Amino acid sequence: MDPRSAALLDDPAGALAALAERTGAGFSALTAARRRTDGRVAERMADLERHAVGDDVATCVFGSWARGELTDGSDDDWAVLVARPFAAYDRDVCLEVVAATETLGVEERQPGSQDIFGHPFDVTELARKIGLDADTNTNLTRRMLLLLESRELHGNVRSGAITDILARYLHEGTKSYRPPRFLLNDLVRYWRTICVDFEGKGSAGAADPKWATRNAKLRTSRKLLFAGGLVTVLLCHLKEASEMPHFLGRWFDVAPTDRLAAAFLYAGVEESGARALGAYDRWLTLIGDSETREALRLVAFDTRDTSDLFETIRQIGMDFQAGLDALLFSSALGRVTRTYAIF
Amino acid sequence: MVPSLLHSSSRALSAHTMVGCSTGYMSDVRGDWEALVERAAQTSSTAIELSALSEDELPGLIAYLASAPRLPFHFVSVHAPSKGRSMPEEELVRQLQSLPPWVSAIVLHPDAMRDPEAYVPLGRRLVIENMDRRKETGRTTQELQGLFHALAQARFCFDLAHAKVVDPTMAVAASLLSTFATRLSHVHLSSLDDRDGHVPLTSGDEALFADLLRRCADVPWILEAPPS
Repeated sequence: MDPRSAALLDDPAGALAALAERTGAGFSALTAARRRTDGRVAERMADLERHAVGDDVATCVFGSWARGELTDGSDDDWAVLVARPFAAYDRDVCLEVVAATETLGVEERQPGSQDIFGHPFDVTELARKIGLDADTNTNLTRRMLLLLESRELHGNVRSGAITDILARYLHEGTKSYRPPRFLLNDLVRYWRTICVDFEGKGSAGAADPKWATRNAKLRTSRKLLFAGGLVTVLLCHLKEASEMPHFLGRWFDVAPTDRLAAAFLYAGVEESGARALGAYDRWLTLIGDSETREALRLVAFDTRDTSDLFETIRQIGMDFQAGLDALLFSSALGRVTRTYAIF
Repeated sequence: MVPSLLHSSSRALSAHTMVGCSTGYMSDVRGDWEALVERAAQTSSTAIELSALSEDELPGLIAYLASAPRLPFHFVSVHAPSKGRSMPEEELVRQLQSLPPWVSAIVLHPDAMRDPEAYVPLGRRLVIENMDRRKETGRTTQELQGLFHALAQARFCFDLAHAKVVDPTMAVAASLLSTFATRLSHVHLSSLDDRDGHVPLTSGDEALFADLLRRCADVPWILEAPPS
């Protein structure tokens, strides 16, 4: 491993740019989206800064905001994080929700449905309820999204919540130079839950204008979310148990495209990485186009095989996954993947 | 994947996820697309290259693909005609554009492309292959760069045997792969006989190609001769 790749292992920030430099890949859509996201994050942080806040309340954004992939059509997926139990009319919580609603989630850009976003929630529940019936789909989703793609715009709750969640995952049974099984199992469970829930939503019956978009996101941004977490957990096999909390925290602080780029560089398969993230870059170009988003609404399960657009997305998904497969099975990571990621 | 590849004596072929056959070597059933597809699927159901190397094979292939259900392969490539060419390039491109959208690659030989601009409509489906020593162009990075410059979306089909016969040290092959890495669509894999005809991959070539093949772990490998 060359020294630059070793440095990225300690701090993967900037790995996407390093991969671009190493391979000549452009990643023009990803680069533009990051610039756009950073600008909008700065604007929203300045807006929210005008509001007073309690020490244990914060506003966090998820999804494309946290991945650095904002397009004109992105939802404003936000939530108010509260580091304690709270009552329905808690003053600090209400003030934060009002501020977040005014700043984010206006008009058609309001957060997605399912009660995941646009609400306050007690982050202590995320670490306290892992597994069994109390760990609802919503709790699991919030915990995983906080770890894998979240960005704090106001207040200071996220970091402590992540520390507590990681402490719970790493509390016992974690061995040096092996991926932490508890976290790995929960991460894999989350990915499989997303996939199963996709099918659950699809069985509603009538033509669903969101079916194709959800399918496309499973092939791209959702897969990126999972893979960016998976490589992070697998790379723990390079660390002593005592180093893992810091390592995981640092990696989860950067965009999943940086995490994947760092993993491709570490594993010495940077050309596969350039092609995989190049495919993802094409997806971002597509989904950033309003006409394409509208056209996707017209693609249904029954018409997908006659849609050129859907075929393009299918190709993008296959190219993206082929690169991930090369990283996970045909590189230095292959032995770790085979040993830990299946059983 | 079916047993014929799983039991291949080639460790590289057995281990690679996306391996498939070119129908070009199945000369005994040439023109019978259903039989060609069935035979290719008996070797691997993950990838295929439907070879219409002669122009007179193309209409039959287009008609077959228009009438057949979606093929079971993850990766479907069509090798466009490079022999017996008589139709104008615009007409050839028009016909190639009519291929179903699930044909993700259309391979063309650079020496058969007179007006690169004519191929722009093929977009990312256009895949240009490096040539062997019998051709006067399209063999090296330098000879291909102009074409790729003119065709910004075109991708690259890396024929390792062609590159080896141009330069047995494999320096030309390494240069091709490094220069066109982000454009790589798939690999053509075989060895060549004394007349530069495709024959099954030899163990010597497999060892010689190993480092380069490792850099192609994420793309389909198309066998241009039966698996060894």
